[in-house]
Amino acid sequence: MGEVWRIAITGSFNKFLGKVLTFLPNLLAMITILIVGFLVAWIIKMVLLRFLKAIQFDRLSEKWGLTYMFSKGGMSYSPAHLFSGFFYWIIVLITLILGINALELTATQNFIARFFNYLPHLFAALIILVIGYLIAIFLGQAVLIAAVNAQMESARLLSRVIRWFIIILSLTMALSQLGIAQNVIVAAFTILFGGIVLALAVAFGWGGRELARDFLEKLYKRKEKGEGTDHISHI
Amino acid sequence: MEKSLQSQLEEIKGADILIGIPSYNNISTIGHVVRAVTAGLAKYFPGAKAVIFNSDGGSTDGTQEEVKRVQIEDFSTILTSYPLHPVHKIVTPYHGVPGKGSAFRAIFEAAGALNVKACAVVDSDLRSITPEWMDLLLTPVIEEGFDYVAPLYARHKFDGTITNSIVYPLTRALYGKRVRQPIGGDFGFSGDLAKFYLTKDVWETDVARFGIDIWMTTLAVAEGYKVCQSYLGAKIHDAKDPGRDLGPMFAQVVSSVFWLMAEYQHLWKVSKESQEVPTLGFRYEVGLEPVSVNTDGMIENFRLGVRDLMEIWRKILLRETVLWLESIGRLSNEAFSFPQDLWVRVVYNFAIAYYKGSVHREHLLKSMIPLYLGRVASFVKENQESSAREVEEKVEDLCEVFEEMKPFLIERWTTG
Repeated sequence: MGEVWRIAITGSFNKFLGKVLTFLPNLLAMITILIVGFLVAWIIKMVLLRFLKAIQFDRLSEKWGLTYMFSKGGMSYSPAHLFSGFFYWIIVLITLILGINALELTATQNFIARFFNYLPHLFAALIILVIGYLIAIFLGQAVLIAAVNAQMESARLLSRVIRWFIIILSLTMALSQLGIAQNVIVAAFTILFGGIVLALAVAFGWGGRELARDFLEKLYKRKEKGEGTDHISHI
Repeated sequence: MEKSLQSQLEEIKGADILIGIPSYNNISTIGHVVRAVTAGLAKYFPGAKAVIFNSDGGSTDGTQEEVKRVQIEDFSTILTSYPLHPVHKIVTPYHGVPGKGSAFRAIFEAAGALNVKACAVVDSDLRSITPEWMDLLLTPVIEEGFDYVAPLYARHKFDGTITNSIVYPLTRALYGKRVRQPIGGDFGFSGDLAKFYLTKDVWETDVARFGIDIWMTTLAVAEGYKVCQSYLGAKIHDAKDPGRDLGPMFAQVVSSVFWLMAEYQHLWKVSKESQEVPTLGFRYEVGLEPVSVNTDGMIENFRLGVRDLMEIWRKILLRETVLWLESIGRLSNEAFSFPQDLWVRVVYNFAIAYYKGSVHREHLLKSMIPLYLGRVASFVKENQESSAREVEEKVEDLCEVFEEMKPFLIERWTTG
């Protein structure tokens, strides 16, 4: 009986020891990956920060409207710090996933494979959002200046419409890239866009009849009187 | 250079004088310009071998055919002597970025290929050009040894507002030479200077458009060429809507001025007081057609700028300048005034922002237009009853403010 116990206990202990001995290298590998990963992340962050400062990224961000966007979002860090920090955390995240993967646990294997398959979509969506935002800021500003120079009272409204239209469009594209409710988003965007066009058509056609008439009358009368035109040569 | 043009130039085998006429749909005026140039060459340079070079931007109204067709049948009706050489005419389309600067590039290339002694360029929409302009633009180069002859005109007191409010005062304050019409459009220059212009690679920039005039003048002054100005009399253009081209014209001219500031910063930072340049020609009073100016529209445009463009201006201007602009934006049309020193601050700060690149450059330049219109409206209101001479004194006052505030520009240029 005692022999049976001994065999059972030593067998179980040996099995446990075997498992620990199999697991230990994986654990050590994970710890090594984590240490190296964090170190690489920190080095890349510092190199990137120096590079961004050298190319005066903060000034460029101010020009492109990124600083304004971040300050509106309540972020007090400079864009160079934010971008280098972003890449730091991306590398940390990848390091963590690689570390967990090194443990070779079946449960995590599938999750990690799916995560890495999804990662390109995530990056693409992020790039679409950033580029979309920059285009929205740039075109919004261009429209605002052009409309002011054309003496349009509603210059700011027009600029905002353009800006939000591009932001919504890029958001739709980003969500579509992520594969989130693709059909619903496309349908929602189509309905929203169609709705805006219809609303504008109705507003101008029905609600703005008087306004349009006044505008045309003023324009015609001004032309008749020869008002509003300059004859000076600017150059 | 196109092969057909090259063979035409080779056929002529060198010349003494080249007259460049850039054009684009100017059929109504170009005939008069070509006749005046031909008569001027025959009258003042009868022994010189001369070429009239029409550099056209692809006119569709028959401008090129008109240049080829026009000639003076009988010189005895206008002259007491006959020219020894016939005047050669070359009519050719230019290539590259569409604009006046590209047309000038083709003229410089032809001048270089023909190895001319002197060149002149005249606008193709001029109604007031006379044969004497050839003498006034070319003789200082051929006989007096000048390299660059800028024009001096009698203009309506409210004409040339970009020149009077920005280009002349700023160029004078920066480079220390009082060239009154640095973007006049009609210039004389030596063959050597034409060759020098060709060595510069600027033909994809705003210099290839409306920026060419200030670029030519600035290079002549900054590179130490001998510069003078000739009094040509009245400058009357073909009638067109000046407001139509204001945006691109303003942006291209001012962009070129600001860009040149960065190129020649080593010069203007050490240049002190401005000096007169030699002025040639007989000055006389000219009766000019009255012009109408819609100051209310300009003030309205300025107010719209104050309301909607402040977000951009805040990135360019100092806080006290912004507050000052906001306060004048609240004034009634009757009380509206845009003071000189405020305007100088605005121009200097925009130049600095352009150099630093803190705002997208095209946005920066176009957002300056409401400010410019505000200043023009104020200037017109202040001088409604003034004579041309009094208005000229006001322009001189503005120039002095630009010069007095130059230390502010130098300090902010360096520190940002």
